[in-house]
Amino acid sequence: MAAHTSRAFLSLGRINVPGLGLHKSVSRVTYSTGLSTDSSKATTGSPQKGGKKVLSKKYKREPGDPRTELMPVDQDWTAVYPVATPFIPDAIPLPVRMGCPVKGGAPPEKKGNLELIKIPNFLHLTPAAIKKHCEALKPFCTEWPSALDTDAKCDEHFPIKVETKSYVSAGPSIRNPAARIVHLSVKLSSLNLNDQARKKMLKLVGDRYCKDTDILTITADRCPLKQQNYDYAMYLLTVLYHESWKIEAWEAEKTVADMEEYSWEGSLSQENILDVLVRMKEAGEGEGEEVREQLLGRREVQEYKDSVTRLKNEGENESTMLQYKEAVKKVLKL
Amino acid sequence: MAAPMALRRELCSLARILSGISHLAPRALGVCSGHNKCNIIRSRLPSTSSTSFHTATVFSSITVTEEPDTLFQMVSVMVKGHDRAVLDSYEFFAKMAAQELGITINKVYEPPKDIERLTVLKSVHIFKKHRVQYEMRTHYRCFELSHMTGCTTQVYLEYIQRNLPEGVAMEVSTTAIEKVPDHILEPMWEDRPIDDKPGQ
Repeated sequence: MAAHTSRAFLSLGRINVPGLGLHKSVSRVTYSTGLSTDSSKATTGSPQKGGKKVLSKKYKREPGDPRTELMPVDQDWTAVYPVATPFIPDAIPLPVRMGCPVKGGAPPEKKGNLELIKIPNFLHLTPAAIKKHCEALKPFCTEWPSALDTDAKCDEHFPIKVETKSYVSAGPSIRNPAARIVHLSVKLSSLNLNDQARKKMLKLVGDRYCKDTDILTITADRCPLKQQNYDYAMYLLTVLYHESWKIEAWEAEKTVADMEEYSWEGSLSQENILDVLVRMKEAGEGEGEEVREQLLGRREVQEYKDSVTRLKNEGENESTMLQYKEAVKKVLKL
Repeated sequence: MAAPMALRRELCSLARILSGISHLAPRALGVCSGHNKCNIIRSRLPSTSSTSFHTATVFSSITVTEEPDTLFQMVSVMVKGHDRAVLDSYEFFAKMAAQELGITINKVYEPPKDIERLTVLKSVHIFKKHRVQYEMRTHYRCFELSHMTGCTTQVYLEYIQRNLPEGVAMEVSTTAIEKVPDHILEPMWEDRPIDDKPGQ
């Protein structure tokens, strides 16, 4: 008989008296399968349907009031939701409704609402909680130096700017390879460069220099780590600086085609205008170096020189063309 | 006029404070990673934090070192997510946290959203005329904070990032400002006359 009963159902927990009938068990939970033995049917006699065993006195705990009923109005909410927790309808005393409304009705209530559980909630970050957190974090913060309140002062004392990006996201990996890129920008006017060094630096650097803002930007991304790229960028800046101060022997062979800016002295334009003026016999009779020098000293010739230089350097626009026209008229006395 | 040297504070027990706030197990912090060459000149007596949380009073010791703090002229935080309402709430949280910690917020703006659409066949086999279209919407929110020190940036960013909601990504762009290093102040060829070596 005992073997029969044990085959018929699984039992969890302690079995008090395996031999006796089912109705005697108080402190055990049992499952009943579809099978039932004849012996158990005979002993209990209570089930009405054939084949299905029903426990008449199943211990069941009554669900109490939801926590929301017992919450005082002035409670400390940071104690109820101290961390990011999913939405618990019985712990939040708000009549929230969310979801697609039934036709002619309201959206579903909060009890058993999956939409409220799916969306991230900010119940742990109420203003009171944020204030508490910031109170605790305040001792670890430092103040910005009050002397550096404007951007101009920052540029003056701290001319080098290092831009980096970092990324936070969820995925198979927390690393982002784009986080290794470092941009180092510096204004050339803040470095100690003379004229020749500046020109050489611009030639060495090429595209990395922006003429409008006078900022040199070095981007380093060849190393796998941000710190390495930063060190490399600083190394590049150092090397560029020292190399641009070096004067090589072959730099003396710089031709007119290598010049960055147009300079009027010794150019074709100077010879031409002096020839024209000598032919027009402006300085009186006589040719030679003294005449040319005297012509050069004249105000109209200086203005002509300025206008031609400006035209060549800045390109052709309204103001430069006008200036050139006026200067030519004055020089040739038109 | 030289800018005053700011003192660095080490975030030794930030993990402990935040674990006092949260019930999660304390996670190891990589916060003090880059600046470990500081000599601890003096350390204050351990001071308990002013607020006591319901779990326990948190023991915090703040060490102040003489190492100069990094200065960030601009810190730009961009958050991306699929839900605009979540980003709205996060914006409120980030703005309030910045105000409480005394950080100047330059501007908070919302770049236009990106919608990525794709069209696929509805059926496994044939039925080319019947398709189904999906779209993924990415909303953005950008906070620009200016004039922050390295310590404040670490504290604020860690606080913000620990409370980043699920499904939201963040991109932080920092602009640090530095002095011109000593080896670039003067050219090293000063003591020698013009170099005559061939360039190549």
